[in-house]
Amino acid sequence: MSHADPTPLLPSVLPFPGGCVLMDGAMMDTSQIKKPARKAKSAQVSLAYRLAVTSRTLAALFGGYLLAALTSVCLTQWLPMPRADAVVTGMLLSFLAYLGAVIWCFACRTAWRAWAGILLPAGILAALFCIGRWLS
Amino acid sequence: MLLATLLCYAGFTALCLSMSRHYGELLHSKLSVNRGRLLRVLGWALLCLSLSSALSAPAWGMALVEWFAALMASALLLVFLIPFRPRLALILAAAGLLLSPVAAFNQLLV
Amino acid sequence: MKEGFRQAMAWLHTWIGLIFGWLLFAIFLTGTMSYFKAEINRWTHPEIPVRSVPAAASIERAQAYLQSNAAGASRWFIRLPDDREPALGVMWQTPGQEGRRGFVRKSLDPQSGEEIQTRSSMGGEFFYRFHFQLQMPHPWGRWLATAAAMLMFIALITGIITHKKIFKEFFTFRPRKGQRSWLDGHNAIGVLALPFHLMITYSSLVIFMSMVMPASIIASYGDNVQAFYADIFPSTNGAKAAGTAAPLTPLMPVLSAAQQQWPDGNIGRLVVNNPGDANATVAVFRSAADSVIHDNGVALIFDGVSGALQTLPTPRSGPMLVSGAMYGLHIGEFAGPLLRWLYFVFGIAGTAMIGTGLVMWLAKRQLKHVKTGVLPLELRLVHVLNVAGMAGLMIAVAAFFWANRLLPVGLAARGDWEINLFFSAWGLTVLHALVRNGRQGWREQLALGALLFAGLPVLDIFSGGGYLLASLQQQDWVLIGFDLTALVTGLFMAWGATKFRPVPPVIAAKSDEQTATKKTRQTGIDTAQLEGEAN
Repeated sequence: MSHADPTPLLPSVLPFPGGCVLMDGAMMDTSQIKKPARKAKSAQVSLAYRLAVTSRTLAALFGGYLLAALTSVCLTQWLPMPRADAVVTGMLLSFLAYLGAVIWCFACRTAWRAWAGILLPAGILAALFCIGRWLS
Repeated sequence: MLLATLLCYAGFTALCLSMSRHYGELLHSKLSVNRGRLLRVLGWALLCLSLSSALSAPAWGMALVEWFAALMASALLLVFLIPFRPRLALILAAAGLLLSPVAAFNQLLV
Repeated sequence: MKEGFRQAMAWLHTWIGLIFGWLLFAIFLTGTMSYFKAEINRWTHPEIPVRSVPAAASIERAQAYLQSNAAGASRWFIRLPDDREPALGVMWQTPGQEGRRGFVRKSLDPQSGEEIQTRSSMGGEFFYRFHFQLQMPHPWGRWLATAAAMLMFIALITGIITHKKIFKEFFTFRPRKGQRSWLDGHNAIGVLALPFHLMITYSSLVIFMSMVMPASIIASYGDNVQAFYADIFPSTNGAKAAGTAAPLTPLMPVLSAAQQQWPDGNIGRLVVNNPGDANATVAVFRSAADSVIHDNGVALIFDGVSGALQTLPTPRSGPMLVSGAMYGLHIGEFAGPLLRWLYFVFGIAGTAMIGTGLVMWLAKRQLKHVKTGVLPLELRLVHVLNVAGMAGLMIAVAAFFWANRLLPVGLAARGDWEINLFFSAWGLTVLHALVRNGRQGWREQLALGALLFAGLPVLDIFSGGGYLLASLQQQDWVLIGFDLTALVTGLFMAWGATKFRPVPPVIAAKSDEQTATKKTRQTGIDTAQLEGEAN
């Protein structure tokens, strides 16, 4: 059996004592799943899982960068400092925003939430920036 | 910075001993709750003393950097010494504490 | 939800570590070597004489040399010799050629003012540049290196989140317990040197932040990005050339005047703008070794014709001090010998942290295949990358140094040949790892690495100038230190090779089977222990 189905590099389930936890948080008790059913289910689970992971990765990678950039731009706009200093501070802190975004994307319960957690704050930050620009 | 380093190492040793598992490994006896608490207080006190002795130098930026280096170096030395030379690890801490008044005196003079 | 969070972070930590571990290992190793860039340069360029010449005298030589060889240049750069870099460095920008190609660099003997005839070699510079440019065309290398830094940062933070018993196991290291020891070691190195790892990683993001995160610059300055650089580096604003010729003031008095402004400091370098022009200026910068904060924008500006002091350095703002401090902490120019060695030790620790992670990842998954003895393709790939990426890289480093000593001095494009040999050796280790199986691959490459490194001092004695013997006679601790470090590295690799001693096949199969059955029984517990970090 171990030769027939190659160990996938991307595990379809996370090992967990007593069972498995899928990325969407659902629990699955491996000991109770029959083999043929497990094979069919794991193939099905696998695709949805892979799509979810890809989605989260894209959200983290590109969405995270977007959030980091918007954070830096917003900070630069609103910080009461000379222009160059505000720019530098914005850049210095942007990476923390990137970190937060990436952690969110993989910690939240679904891939949809990942995107929501990126796009909503992005919208708010963009709005704040525009307001700041319009006020000055 | 010598004083700071000696105090760091001693402080980490005290904190290590304040955990019953390590106390048992190193001193082959059971750790009482009171002694554990005492060791923990002593450990933190030594670390704070170490920091203040480092910051007595005029250039606080450089001193802070050197203190962090001493902190990490002493922690690494202690943790990798314990499984191989536990007695040496403890002797170094004791020796460090004994030498610290000398180092302190030296620092005051400079 | 807490359980899910830790598990998710463990998953992220493992995947980032796996995909980027080899790249990060290479960056960390070459970066750690770069702390001794100057010392490595001295070993790879043994022709450079070591002389302690007061700064004042060497500046005259520099000026004389530049006056006769670079009279028409738009900018002169003079780097004064110090105890780590004994050569007097001059550089100028040939007029009409913009960009990086337009710079000419020379090393001068500070006493005679003559150009030092030294073998063409990148030396320590090669590892330093590789570390942040990865031998890729500009600017892709820097982008990749900075991306790797961001991923390292995420790996560190997710590692901290995952390490549930971070305080309970603060002092825990249990050797000779198989996988448990690898994990203990990985955790110990990570936690105990955490301030260093965090500093190094975040500061590497800060160093190239203008390149990778330009949004705020563009949002604030629009098209006029040059204005931003003028704002943060006020001392590098040169007035345009007036067009009228005027002799450049002698630089030695300028140096003394600058020294008076900084009585307890050292002068690092000078930049002469528009030498020989009426609008010439001389910017004097303090030595980077003077302060933790590394700041290129702060200088004393002198009039280039009269030698009078024009501008004092502007006091720096908070954000500029912070970014300067991050840059300074990363490159550690300010570190004296002891602190520099500690930087090196912590750098090696970081490298080992990455290496142990990679080894653990594979070891855990190899357990499932012990009975069959055949690894699936993906695990085989990881094994090859582990061996070639770690032991193989060490071999390539040693090969670079062997090439430095063995290639004929007069060879054309000698510096390029050393680099080619580095990459060729590395490539060969990949091929070797592909054809040899698990233990053999590790054992043979570690053994070869041990031979190459331990052989460097021997090579030093027998090649050409009898360098090691000469250094011992002159008590040149830098060169002796290099040879000693190489020897110790060789011994360490030899010790590592003994860990992969060949086991007779019958006994191996039997013990593997026993271990396998034991492990299967314990799998529930083992997995729990390892995944227990996330529970």
